[in-house]
Amino acid sequence: MMQDFLFKASNISKYYGQNVGCKNVSLDINSGEVLGIVGESGSGKSTLLNCIYGNLKVDEGDILLNDKSKKILNFTKIDEPKLRLIQRSDLAFVHQNPRDGLRMNISAGGNIGERLMAIGHRNYGEIREIASSWLEKVEIDVSRIDDKPSTFSGGMQQRLQIARNLVTKPRLIFMDEPTGGLDVSVQAKILDLLRNLVRELGIAAIIVTHDLAVVRLLADRIIVMQNGNVIEAGLCDQVLDDPQHKYSQLLVSSVLQV
Amino acid sequence: MNDMSKDKNIDIQIYNFAYLDENTKRMIRRALLKALCIPGYQVPFSSREMPMPYGWGTGGIQVTSACLIPKDVLKVIDQGADDTTNAVSIRKFFQKTANVAVTEKTSDASLIQTRHRIPETKLKEQQILVYQVPIPEPLRFLEPRETETRKMHALSEYGLMFVKLYEDIAKHGHIETAYAYPVKTNGNYVTDPSPIPKFDNPKMNNNPAIQLFGAGREQRIYAIPPYTNVKSLDFEDYPFEAMKANFKCSICGSSDSYLDEIIVSDDGKRSYICSDTDYCKEQTQLNSKEEDQ
Repeated sequence: MMQDFLFKASNISKYYGQNVGCKNVSLDINSGEVLGIVGESGSGKSTLLNCIYGNLKVDEGDILLNDKSKKILNFTKIDEPKLRLIQRSDLAFVHQNPRDGLRMNISAGGNIGERLMAIGHRNYGEIREIASSWLEKVEIDVSRIDDKPSTFSGGMQQRLQIARNLVTKPRLIFMDEPTGGLDVSVQAKILDLLRNLVRELGIAAIIVTHDLAVVRLLADRIIVMQNGNVIEAGLCDQVLDDPQHKYSQLLVSSVLQV
Repeated sequence: MNDMSKDKNIDIQIYNFAYLDENTKRMIRRALLKALCIPGYQVPFSSREMPMPYGWGTGGIQVTSACLIPKDVLKVIDQGADDTTNAVSIRKFFQKTANVAVTEKTSDASLIQTRHRIPETKLKEQQILVYQVPIPEPLRFLEPRETETRKMHALSEYGLMFVKLYEDIAKHGHIETAYAYPVKTNGNYVTDPSPIPKFDNPKMNNNPAIQLFGAGREQRIYAIPPYTNVKSLDFEDYPFEAMKANFKCSICGSSDSYLDEIIVSDDGKRSYICSDTDYCKEQTQLNSKEEDQ
């Protein structure tokens, strides 16, 4: 059997007591592909993202990753050490608030180096070199390598978080509202950067956002969620230009035009 | 009370041998045995109120109390010295509550309680070294969540420990951490050696004595069994270096023991002396013998 998918989640359900987090959600993604998950607040986007990343235990469903050696791993079955190893080598997670994803009292270089040291790098010179090159890639002045992120602007912090996550060359990156809380010009810069990096490195990405402009720019395919259910899925342009479901239509029509 | 304390026999009736009651000692011994079985693993124990504040060595004292037997010979040091407040008061405490013999000579002691030093004289089999530990968790200031650090130990995720060393080099050009320098015990758990100077770290490796660590406030006990591999963490291009002040002791002239810096005059004149008072005494005696010959 051909196993050409990179990541596949099937029939994911997560309940918070009586309440539904997400219900019967399936998605799959191939290498280099960008998938957007859109929906209003409380629609279960972040729950879904945390479930498929392995941070939250799912109640039903399977999460499969096709790992580097072409072996299929099921997140719901593998033990925690293995999962955490996968999370820091094959996967990456970019938080909405850079404070959640960065160590604020550790220098920018240390922040980027942490994931390298976590997978066994023990050569200071090498780590520093890689950290510098990544600062360059995310357009942060290399001379700031020893400054703490707390002295950075919001946009720089977010770019640093992206660098920190991409340094171990993950194959799939999860992003939870990566541009939320940033002003529009900074947003545009981050989106530009993300688009270039994702294309250049061939990384697949799953982006959760309520901002349709973000998915329009980045995503190849999107899924639309409401009340924990997927109500529409398809190619990005197709869904955004010709939404079929009532809620998707509402979502598309409520975008403000300048 | 003064009248009673003059008579040692009465003291011993007032206190159980070595202060703690037998059930408590049993609980601590069980923790110690577990700690010895899993070198470097922090075993929780139910630390007792001691008749002194936390931070004065309550963890070490509880471990000593649980290990002490009547024929033990006890030595207590504080920063290497036998005659500093902490050492004197703990030594007196056990003289009073356990009536054990005490000594200042490292080689004569069967149990040594220490704060922040390992004696210069080589330890041998049958000796126990008890460390007083303020913060047993080497990852504490890097990851404040105890639930998370325990998981990191369990899964040996020690990347973060290296981040600390990275930060040192980035800031100072070398690994600046000079005390409480993290070690890897038996190739497994990263362990806090208590705030001993990193000069002492190599002494922990393959030591014939039993090394026990007690943290009273934090309620943790851990141990390094005899002849265990203890490696100080480092980078390939910035290897671990045991360092000391580059002077000679102004009393005994020793150049290979760890030195304390003392300011001897108002205009900032400095003098260096051995921090290990017993070693210094020994060296002075050796020197005078040589002079006599």
